[in-house]
Formats: sequence, C-alpha cells, structure tokens
Amino acid sequence: MRDRLLILSVFIVASCGLAYELIAGALASYLLGDSVLQFSSIIGTYLFAMGLGSHCSKYVKEERALATFIDVELLVGLIGGLSALFLFLVFAWANAPFRTVLYALVVICGALVGMEIPLVMRVLNQRKTAFADIVSRVLTFDYMGALAVSLLFPLVLAPKLGLARTALLFGICNVGVALWTARVFRRELVNPVHFYLRGGIVLMLLGGSFVAADRLTAWSEKAIYGDEIIHAETTHYQRLVLTKWQDDLRLYINGNLQFSSRDEYRYHEALVHPVLEKQPWTRKVLILGGGDGLALREVLRYPQIESVTLVDLDPAMTTLFSTSAPLVALNKGALKDKRAHVVNEDAGQWLEKDNGVFDAIIIDFPDPSNFALGKLYSVPMFRLVNRHLAQNGLMVVQSTSPMHAPRSYWSINKTLEEAGFVTTPYHAYVPSFGEWGFIIGAKQAGYTPPTAYRLPMKFLDTESTRQMFFFPPDMHKVDVEANRLNNQSLVHYFEQDWSRVLR
Amino acid sequence: MELTRRKVLQLGLAAGAGMALGGCKLLQLGLNIKGYWPGMLEGHLLRGNTQLPAPSVERKVGVAILGGGAAGLFAAWKLVRGGRKDVLLVDGPEFGGNCAAGALGGLAHPRGAHYLPLPSLESRHVRELLADMGVIERDAFTAKPYFDERVLVHAPEERLWVDGRWQEGLLPRTGMDADELKQQQRFLDFVAGLRDKTGSDGRRVFAIPLVLSSTDPQWRALDQLSFAQWLKREGYTAPGLLWYLDYACRDDYGAGSAQTSAWAGLHYFASRGGHAANAEEGAILTWPDGINPLVRHLAAALQPAQRLAGMAVQVTDAGKAVHVDVLNVLSRKVTRLIADQVICAMPLHVAAHVVSDLAGLGFDLHRHGLPHAAWQVSNFLIDAFPQEPVEHPLAWDNVVYGSNSLGYVNSTHQLIRQYKPESSVFTAYHAFANEDPRAVRARLEHASAEALYEVAAQDLQRVYGWRWRQHVQQVEITVRGHAMSTPAPGFLGNPGLAALRALDGRIRFAHADLSGLSVFEEASWWGNQAAEALL
Ligand SMILES: Cc1cc2nc3c(=O)[nH]c(=O)nc-3n(C[C@H](O)[C@H](O)[C@H](O)COP(=O)(O)OP(=O)(O)OC[C@H]3O[C@@H](n4cnc5c(N)ncnc54)[C@H](O)[C@@H]3O)c2cc1C
Repeated sequence: MRDRLLILSVFIVASCGLAYELIAGALASYLLGDSVLQFSSIIGTYLFAMGLGSHCSKYVKEERALATFIDVELLVGLIGGLSALFLFLVFAWANAPFRTVLYALVVICGALVGMEIPLVMRVLNQRKTAFADIVSRVLTFDYMGALAVSLLFPLVLAPKLGLARTALLFGICNVGVALWTARVFRRELVNPVHFYLRGGIVLMLLGGSFVAADRLTAWSEKAIYGDEIIHAETTHYQRLVLTKWQDDLRLYINGNLQFSSRDEYRYHEALVHPVLEKQPWTRKVLILGGGDGLALREVLRYPQIESVTLVDLDPAMTTLFSTSAPLVALNKGALKDKRAHVVNEDAGQWLEKDNGVFDAIIIDFPDPSNFALGKLYSVPMFRLVNRHLAQNGLMVVQSTSPMHAPRSYWSINKTLEEAGFVTTPYHAYVPSFGEWGFIIGAKQAGYTPPTAYRLPMKFLDTESTRQMFFFPPDMHKVDVEANRLNNQSLVHYFEQDWSRVLR
Repeated sequence: MELTRRKVLQLGLAAGAGMALGGCKLLQLGLNIKGYWPGMLEGHLLRGNTQLPAPSVERKVGVAILGGGAAGLFAAWKLVRGGRKDVLLVDGPEFGGNCAAGALGGLAHPRGAHYLPLPSLESRHVRELLADMGVIERDAFTAKPYFDERVLVHAPEERLWVDGRWQEGLLPRTGMDADELKQQQRFLDFVAGLRDKTGSDGRRVFAIPLVLSSTDPQWRALDQLSFAQWLKREGYTAPGLLWYLDYACRDDYGAGSAQTSAWAGLHYFASRGGHAANAEEGAILTWPDGINPLVRHLAAALQPAQRLAGMAVQVTDAGKAVHVDVLNVLSRKVTRLIADQVICAMPLHVAAHVVSDLAGLGFDLHRHGLPHAAWQVSNFLIDAFPQEPVEHPLAWDNVVYGSNSLGYVNSTHQLIRQYKPESSVFTAYHAFANEDPRAVRARLEHASAEALYEVAAQDLQRVYGWRWRQHVQQVEITVRGHAMSTPAPGFLGNPGLAALRALDGRIRFAHADLSGLSVFEEASWWGNQAAEALL
C-alpha cells in the first residue's frame, strides 16, 4: 500500500516536473517571441538541470532520503508553483533581468525535479522492493505522467486556467504529495509535525495566489502593455496585440506601439495632409504599409480622390481592421470603402511588377530595426517608388524621430535625395511616440507647406503647420551617410540612436 | 534540353559504357536530386575515336569564335561593339561555361561563378561591360565608380559558423587566442601593404589582369614555392588563419594552399582593391543566378544568325584560311567554317584535341597543361527558410569554420523584401581540393546520388542539423570535372601559356586557362585582347 502510494506520487511528481518545463517554455516564447529557439533552449536547460539534480541526489545520506524527498517536494511546489506568476511580474516591472531570472528559475526547478525520482527509487529500495521492478514501475509512471501533462497542458490547462494558475495548480499537487507522504510515513520521520506545518504554509500561499492570480496577471499584463488586452494574435508575420483602457485603443506589433487612438489623429493628419492639401488634383493614391486603415481614412476624406491602393503585407492585419467593430469605428470603415483596393503583398515585390502611376504616395513602413526592414529605406527602393510617382506628384515617408533617432532620420533624408527626390523634412509631436518625423519627396523643387486646409482638422492649422516645418536647434540636421544596401548604415544608426534613448 | 541531347548522343553516336553516365540523370534518395555533368559527353566524344560524318555545308566567316564562355562571349561583344559584323560564335556544349545558370521552382540560381569583385583600375574591360549594362551608373573609369546598388551585395554579406555559433566575417575570431589574432592582423597588414606595391619595372606587383603584374624577379620568386610553404617560412602558424587561407585558395582556385603557388595565394588578397562611390571597400557584385547576367548581356549583342549551335571538332590552319568543323550534336551534321580568323575560346585541354598541331603552336598539353580542379555546385530549392538567430541573420555567403567545403549562398539575398520570400535556392559550393584530381574525376563520373548529396549538404547539415532536410524540395547538382586550371607553383613561367598568349596569326586563344587561374576578369581579359587585335 505504501509502495503504491509512492508510485502514485511518482506519477504526480513527473506530471508536475514536465508541467513547469512546458510553462517556462511557453512563457518565454510568449513574452520573448521566436518560439522555436526559446522552447528548445528552455527545455535543454531544464533537462540539463535535471541531470545536475539527480547527480546531487547521491550526496543525500541514506537515512535522510525520505525526509529530503518531502522537502524537495515542498520546494518544487513553492518555486515551480509561483514561477509563472513571478516571471510575469518580473517581465512587467523590470525588463532587463527577465532572461536571467527565467533561466535561474528553470535551473532551480529542473535541479529539484531531477532529485525527485532518484530519491523515490532509494526510498522504495530501502523498503526492499525488487530493484529491477522498482525501476520499471517508477519509469512507467514517470512517462505516463509526462504523457498526461503534455496532452492536458495545451488542450485544457493553458487555455482554461492560463499559465500562472496552471503552474500554481501543479505546485499545489506537489505539496499534496509532500503532505501525504509525510502522513503515511509519519512513523519513520523524526518530527512529522514540522513537515505538516511547512506544508500547510506553502499550501496556503499557493492557494491564496491561485485565487488572486487573475488579478495579478491582469495587473502585470497591464504593466507590460499598460492596459487590458482585448485582442492578441500571432500571424504568419508578426504578433498583434490590441489593448484598451477607457477610450484609449492601442495597437502593438511585436511589442512596439503602432498607435494610440487618443493621439493617432496627430500622426495621420501630419502624414497625409501636407501632401494632399497641396495637390487638389489628386485622383490616384498609393499607400505602402498602413494596414490599420488610418492613413487611408484621412486620404478618403477628399471627395475628388477616385482610387486608393493600399499595399500591406499581412492579411491578418487588414482583416482585423476591417472586421473588428471598435477598429472599424476608428478608421471609419476605410478598408471597406469602394474607392480602396487592399493588396496583401510585400511592397517591394508589388512595386517591381505593378506599373501604375500615382499622384500621391504615402509610405508608412515599420521602423528600420533590422536588415530586412532597412531595405525598404534604400536608394533602389525609393527609385522604384519614384517610377510610380506622377511627374508633379508628391510622396511622403514616415522617417523615425528627428529628436530621438536623429541619425536615422537624416540618413533617410539623404537616401531619398540620392534616389533623386527633392526632399522637405518635417516633424510633429505625437504624445505617445514623442517628436516624430516625416519627409516629403518630390521630383522637382518648389514644395511649400500649406498655410490653410480646406478640410476641418483636429491638429493641423496655419500655426501648427508652420512649426512642423521649422527645425529648432535641438533637431538640426546631422551629417550622416545615405543608407546603402551594401552596409545598411541606417540599421546601425537606428539601433545606436534608440539604445541611447532607452537607458 | 540536356536530356534530349544526351538521348541523341546515346542513340546516335555513342557506343560504350562511358556514354551512359553523362548528361543528365534523375537520381533518387527520397529526394528529387538531379545530377548534371556539363560537357562530359562531348569531352568523351572528342577523346574517343568516334567516326564523325563528313562536312555537309561550308560557310565563310570573318571571325569564328569557338566557345560560348566568358572569354568567347566577351570577344564577340567587343567585336560587334567595334563594328564587326562578320562574327560567328560556336557555343560548344554549354552556353556560359563556368558562368552558366539554371532555375529551380522558377528561381534562378548559379551553376558556376557567383560573384564579381569591384573591378580594379586595370580592369577597364570589365568596367566597360558594367557601364554598358548600367551596373556602373557613372564615373566608370574613375577610382570610385557609382554602382547600381541592387547588385552590390547587401548586408549582411558573410558569416562564419564557429563551434556551433555564427560570427560576422570569414576570418575566425570567436574563441581565438591573442597570438592567433595577432597573426591574423599581421597577415592583413602585410597584404594591405602589397596592394600599392610596385616592382622594379614600375608595375603593380599583383595586378588583375594578371599579365599586367610586375615581372620583377624578386616578387616572381614567390611562384617557386607553395602558399603553405611561404606561410610556414614567414612564421604563420595560427590554425584559424591557416584554415582561412586554405579556404580562400580552395574558393578561388579550387586547390588548397599546399597546391597553390604562393604568388597566386597573395594575388588573391593583393590584386583587387577596386572601390565604389556607394559601397564599402571589398564589396562585390552578385545576382540571383551568380554572374550569369554578365554573359547573357554579352550574348545579347549577337544576332541569331551570328551563332551556330554545336561544337568545334577540328580546327586546321589551311594557310589562307582556317577550317573549322562544327558538329551539331542534335542533327549530326557537320558544318565546315572557312574563317579568316579564329578565336579559340574553349578550355585548353579541349583545344588540344581539336586544334591540329597545338604543340606546334607552342602548347603541349602533357608538358604545359596545368592541373585541373573538379568542382561541385549544388542547388537546393527550399520551401521555407531555416530558423536563424536574431543577432546573426542569414547572410549572402555562409561558411563553416574547419570545413573542407565552401559553404552556401542564398540566391534570394538581393531581393528587396520586408519578409523573406516563400521559397529560395541555397547554392553550396565544393572544390575537390587536396586530393588527386584524376582520382576525383574518375569517382565523380560514377558518383551515386547519395555520394553527391553527402558532399553537397555537408555544411548545411552541420549548421541546421537534421532539420535541413525538411526544407528541401529539389536538388540539382552540377559536377564539373575539369572546372578550372589551378595555379600550382611555377605556373607564372609556364612557356606553353606564354606561347599561346603571344600568338598573332589566324588562330588566337582566349580563355581563363591562359592566365592559369580562373576568374571572370581574367577570362574576359583574354576575350578583350583577342577582339582588340582584330579591330
Ligand atoms: C564553381 C565555380 C565557381 C566560380 N566562381 C567564380 C566567381 O565567383 N567569380 C569569378 O570571377 N570567377 C569564378 N569562377 C571562374 C569563372 O567562372 C571562369 O574563370 C570563367 O567563367 C571562365 O570563362 P572561360 O570563357 O575562360 O571558360 P569556360 O567557362 O570554360 O568556357 C568555355 C566555353 O567553351 C565551350 N566549348 C568547350 N568545348 C568546345 C568545343 N569543342 N567547341 C566549341 N566550344 C567549346 C564551352 O561550351 C564553354 O562555353 C568560378 C568557376 C567555377 C567552376
């Protein structure tokens, strides 16, 4: 009977052991992205730590084997159980040491879990069960436990309970095993009451956290994104997270803020109208990027515009922004407008094969944070765009921040010039981004900013426009290289500029 | 196309075991692997004593160019540009030769040469071509021409896999000790100093084209020993550096540093030094299909009537004209060209079987022939990119430290895309260096799919492990038994080559073999020389 109990605890212990490993892997890939890498490195580390643990177990004295097993169970329950919650909080409040804490936890949990099975075997062995029989029975239950969890975790636990509470649940199981073992073997333990007491405290702690977990994770997710998440989706290309707090909707792509509904009008008015106000003859417009439909919304306000082609890579993005009610309200259904033509294709590829010519081109690409995105801000790319621009047309490019990333901003300006554009740089203050930069490109000189707008604007007027085109001394032009595909200086500038700003 | 040619050859001309091997065959290994042995059947044909039909047509031409590789096509382009219309080009077995290209799943890929360094100031002929193509946009003959950025290799250019991790650049640095790094720096400083060095005759010591280099005996003495010997003599012992230099020799010459002349080994590092107004030092030019666009541009200068399909089987100087018998392998017809001038742009080991009395012209294959390296160019069509670390994304050229292979190149690297495309072709290069070339060739003729695949995928499997195979859709392996002459010690003074370079009669030669080392600049230089002499 007691042996059977120990075997049953092996089953539970094995389930818990695998569960912590899966939870750590899932958490890492959820928070850090790049799931294959995260998962495999977490699992590798965990297995390695288990090896360490089982090695260490041999230093436990024979007579202490049972007591140590119970202690280890309590510790696994406590640390493993709180691991996910703790990691959420660490990620939310202190971004930098997250990886260190994660791996430290994985190593500790792994080492403790690694001690469990060898200890159980020794306890059983002391009780004179035939050794070969023990090994096979223990291993059978070990693997069965693993199978059970590997199915339960993705199908039931993670979706129903969430990562934090799943971990707590397994922690409670571990403590249960500890308490049960202590009770059944109480006669062999020197002081069983100590174990009951410790177990009770840990159990209360875990139980309390289980109840409060929801509030705690919501609070920590809020700390990550600031607000409650109303939609999260990992598409073929990127991770989209939509948050909401009161009337503030925010979109994050791969963790980077794309807009806040509170002040996006500033960004999009500044992006669109300095071009379109000056071109009352505009009939055909091209938007590259901008799958949220917000620039499109501004463009469609001009009744004379006949067609707008919007090229955005990610169909999930344009679908989300043409179906979700709050988002459709935000972009005024722009993506479903009869004049809008949405194309889901890589912009470079589309430009290479299309030969349409447009009166205005609006470029709202992601920032040049890696070599692939850096290519979008290159002489050949801008030349390609140039071929699609009417002789008297205007183009505008979102160009990072002349305040926070001055070298990136002026490098884009230089690249545009080298691609044959006469440029006019300007900037606008968007509270959720800071001072943001744009550059207008034309085939000939002579662009002057608008002094008034025919359409009603929330942000733009004569004075705010004048200020947009004025560069105070702290935003003066810096001398930098154009972005050459051969070395992509822009990507280096961007990295360096922002690493200076962020601590 | 290759398949039908092979069929015809098998049915029509060939008897004997050798024939069944060549051309193109489908090999199976659960994977779709296609093997391709360009020129092999034709080579066997010339060497065997196959009875050829008598000429059925005669045709008079001004200049007959025999060979559609870089050298022959350059000559043709130059002649047409110079106003000559009476030109006829005979392609031979493979259009483009070592600059050939193919396609898998609609994606173009190289079957040979894959890049061109920024041309040196001496390489005016290459600059002229690049300007004509629009690749050089302005200032073609200045120190810093302005290039079309689409073909300047995009960052990140290269990375090296050292002990399970990537590093930037090909000189191994990760985990190397201070002495190693010091020796690397010493070597780099030394070759940097060589770039502007001139010999006693006032010429650059290491120029490209090679024949413009100084003949100063002090420097030429370097040709008497192997690169490995020279490195030893100069006290270079660092294993990382020595591996890298051996890699460089294999990559450029198809032979290891112990089989390469020290002069040639240094030439690789000291001769280039071209610059661009809009790229970093040492940048290179590349296209998805390697440098095949260069030969395609050259060929576009010719009208269809200026080309004749087939291969030269006999070239005889008949006094007033040269008679060239051209066999059309498909129709089995032989056309006799009566040519005022002939530019022989086929490899010299082929010319030795085609040109009557080549030895009489000064080149005796047995005495003067340089060793030939065998190469294998393996193209993998993949339907998804393998996972790469964020801090070291896939580069254009990806090399494995310590490997005896040459790494792999991504054919879609130059695309301007926000995300990687759905599919791509990876090209893995392998030169069979540090082995007896004859033994290699004998083995390659009968190589099984498994054997070829093993060689092809070795670096990829080292890097990506078992996951690599999952991504692969199709494989095409080009085997080049006689890919290139290798610059063994003593090659500079080879009298047979000197004799052919100096020919000024009705028959001239134009081929990279004349230089003794095989790069596009050298091949095209000889095409340019031959054409200029006839303009
Ligand atoms: C795998 C590989 C990679 C390389 N990579 C590079 C590189 O990256 N950069 C670089 O600069 N160089 C590179 N090279 C070298 C470069 O490709 C060669 O130097 C160059 O292409 C040689 O051109 P060629 O015209 O002299 O000779 P070949 O390419 O040998 O051309 C000979 C031509 O003669 C024809 N021919 C043969 N027999 C006959 C006949 N009987 N009658 C008529 N015609 C005949 C053939 O069809 C062929 O078209 C590489 C070579 C190889 C093999």
